[in-house]
Amino acid sequence: MSSSPENFDQLRKLLTVKRHEQPPPGYFNHFSDKVVARIEVEGLKMRVSWWQRLFPELDAKPVLACAYGLVMMGLLAVGIGVSQSLDTQEASAPNPRNPWLAQTPTQISALPVGASLAQPLPGQNNSSVNAVIDNSGAPSFLFDVNRLEVKPASWNLR
Amino acid sequence: MNANVLDKAPVPPSAPPSAEVQDEHKLVKRAQSGDMEAYDDLVRRYQERIYATIYHMTSNHEDANDLAQETFIKAYQALKSFKGDSSFFTWVYRIAVNKTINFLKQRKNKTHMSLNDLDFHAEHDPDLVALVSEKTPRREVGLAELQEKLNAALQKLSDVHRLVVTLHDVQGLSHEEISKIMDCNTGTVRSRLFYARQQLQAYLSDYLK
Repeated sequence: MSSSPENFDQLRKLLTVKRHEQPPPGYFNHFSDKVVARIEVEGLKMRVSWWQRLFPELDAKPVLACAYGLVMMGLLAVGIGVSQSLDTQEASAPNPRNPWLAQTPTQISALPVGASLAQPLPGQNNSSVNAVIDNSGAPSFLFDVNRLEVKPASWNLR
Repeated sequence: MNANVLDKAPVPPSAPPSAEVQDEHKLVKRAQSGDMEAYDDLVRRYQERIYATIYHMTSNHEDANDLAQETFIKAYQALKSFKGDSSFFTWVYRIAVNKTINFLKQRKNKTHMSLNDLDFHAEHDPDLVALVSEKTPRREVGLAELQEKLNAALQKLSDVHRLVVTLHDVQGLSHEEISKIMDCNTGTVRSRLFYARQQLQAYLSDYLK
């Protein structure tokens, strides 16, 4: 047999011994379980939100992606339908307590000035604390500027 | 059963084919999104190759077991940073190789062999039968002795030379695949392989006459 440096055939045949070296029978049956268990015990498991989990699922399953698309389109159609029906209801039954929401701009301009805009009281100049818009029709929980007390500021510089 | 089938040495694994790569890509995506079942599949897919590489580098089953597990744990921790520039297969191999070389640097010369048993097919491998029968008529003793001598000779090589021989002559990877795993060019792989074989041939000259 040749053992010249350039001819490694014999060596390569000898190295096939290494391929026959095998771990104990059944060793690989639970190998991955041990790896996964160690990942969980050592607290290394990734925390991923549901939407991050969703997209790879869609990528892997085209049927699921189609179903997802159809559901989304359906929801969109339902949403548009509901909003249109609400618009129709509001247009046909305006709210008499809130003329701003129920009336069109032309109707607003036809309103008497005193009904919508506050006027300065006689003998008073316009001031930044005067109400610009009459909020008498507004709900009571809103901020009422007219009821605020104004006190002079005093500074103690000692 | 045909005796030739039994006599064959296990087919050396190499890089996965393209269909398998696509499947692997999906599994990696799922694993990156926290699917442990997908990661379990990836571990099952490469556990034997990773374990074998580490085992051939260390010649110690217990060390190979620990390092192989740590390789897959490390890979899981780094999975988010895996961008898919290389295949998952190459990426995991790199982790295994780095871990093993670091381990061997720490271990230095304290080599303690804990060899796995040879499988049933070894006794019927025609190449091995031819090699052993020339040395001794008692094949089992001859094979065990050959195994020990071969492992001892491999342990005399430097880590990078042992790695090249392991990946090419034992695992059956191509020069290109090895160059990706070792992050060097194929010329370096070829020259390291040539040198390692020369060294082994000298150490094992009694068995190669």
